[in-house]
Amino acid sequence: MRHAALAVLVVVLAILLVVPASAQKSFSATYDSERQVKLEGIVTRIDWVNPSAYLLIDVKDAGGTITNWAVEFGNPLELDRDGWKRNSLHIGDVVNVEGNPARGESRQAFAKSVILKSTGKRLFVAPARRAAAPAAPAPRWPDGRVRLGPPPGKKGYWGTASVKALVENTGVKIPMNDDGLLLNLTDADRVAPFQPWAKALYLRRQRMLLKDDPLARCLPPGGPRQFHSANGFQFIEQRELGRILVLLGGGDRNWRVISTDGRPVGQAAEAVLSYYGTSVGHWEKDTLVVDSVGFNERFWMTSGGLPHTEALHLTERFSRPDLNTLKYEVTVDDPRTYTRTWTGGWIVQWVPDKEIEEYFCEENAESTFIR
Amino acid sequence: MFRAACGLACLGIVVSGIAQEGHPLTGTWSGDWGPTTTQRNHLTFVMNWDGKNVTGTINPGPDSIPVGSVLLDVTNWTVRMEADAKDQSGRAVHIAAEGKLEDIASWHRKITGTWVQGTTKGDFRLTRD
Repeated sequence: MRHAALAVLVVVLAILLVVPASAQKSFSATYDSERQVKLEGIVTRIDWVNPSAYLLIDVKDAGGTITNWAVEFGNPLELDRDGWKRNSLHIGDVVNVEGNPARGESRQAFAKSVILKSTGKRLFVAPARRAAAPAAPAPRWPDGRVRLGPPPGKKGYWGTASVKALVENTGVKIPMNDDGLLLNLTDADRVAPFQPWAKALYLRRQRMLLKDDPLARCLPPGGPRQFHSANGFQFIEQRELGRILVLLGGGDRNWRVISTDGRPVGQAAEAVLSYYGTSVGHWEKDTLVVDSVGFNERFWMTSGGLPHTEALHLTERFSRPDLNTLKYEVTVDDPRTYTRTWTGGWIVQWVPDKEIEEYFCEENAESTFIR
Repeated sequence: MFRAACGLACLGIVVSGIAQEGHPLTGTWSGDWGPTTTQRNHLTFVMNWDGKNVTGTINPGPDSIPVGSVLLDVTNWTVRMEADAKDQSGRAVHIAAEGKLEDIASWHRKITGTWVQGTTKGDFRLTRD
């Protein structure tokens, strides 16, 4: 009897774990940006958890029927950075919400604005511009080599990337939304030199609004995607150990090791396949050049759904022309997926005087339910 | 019972969370083929994409059958496979199969379709392990 009860408990727990793991979707897969919704309701609950904060509101319709809506309104780390707190709003407050409703019939919306009815105050908005760190040269080690981390005695990490998805660097801007969804699917050929199967798979993912994105199931952001994380990343240069650690603010606090001890570049066939691959780095003047192989096929290497195979070989080049700027360039060599090697990249801004904050993707499992 | 439940539960977690996101045919597939629903023959099908061709082996082991060709039509995700085997008397038997790739985003994606082995016609179903 006791074992039977335990068995039931285990199955129930498993279901609870499975549901949220599949419940965290990209914006495009969850919300319909073509439709708008206006809601007025009483706050019944506030979930201030990663990766998205929610408030639940009771909304009365014209017939007097009350329904509870789940309103997503931002990443708590970014909200906190902008000066907003959990207690900026209270249970029982009446709010007016404008936003995009969820696809389908669920009572869920993504807020573009939240206004406190009693005062008219607009809540959870970002300042027009975040304070940038003062201009300064790139910090250096005593031997003159550029430091990728903070200056001695300071704090800081690398924040938001200048683009949302990796595309081939051809100088032509390809219109896409923040999830990497192309505004025009005919632009696919400009994203990367796909083999036919890879283009078909990429287009399928795009047409499915990226709903199968492994990142949405809290799997690690392997490959270049690790440098797209909304929660930033940090380099820990352990020169005495001949390695650089990359600590990721997103992807469940993952980390990656770049060996800089002069070992040869790994061969894919020898490596244990993983999300971040086997990385070997060396310096070319002020640029860190990193060769990585040994990737598994369980992730999308960028938002938008670019495929790859185990043959993937990445050559990444990191340079820091000044304190606030990291130039990231990556050359993708995967002859099973692309017809030739190609290169893309972006700029990442320094976030001064702060540490990467704790972030666990699955922490928000409870909040992503739809009532 | 508890162990069985735990096993099922853990399997459920794994199945829901991980998929193979590369070439959709790469991997080991298992299933069966046969002329009727009761007359079935086990199939293990290993496929690999080398960048130009999909290579494959049916039922790896002492009686393995090398696959002659595997063609994936990405316009409709159909798969055509051909191989030459030998029957129990040692005579050459040609195998031709055509199926539809389904549930592409899942680790346990499927291929179902028609299977012709010599003069025997039937259907097949494969699930990626």
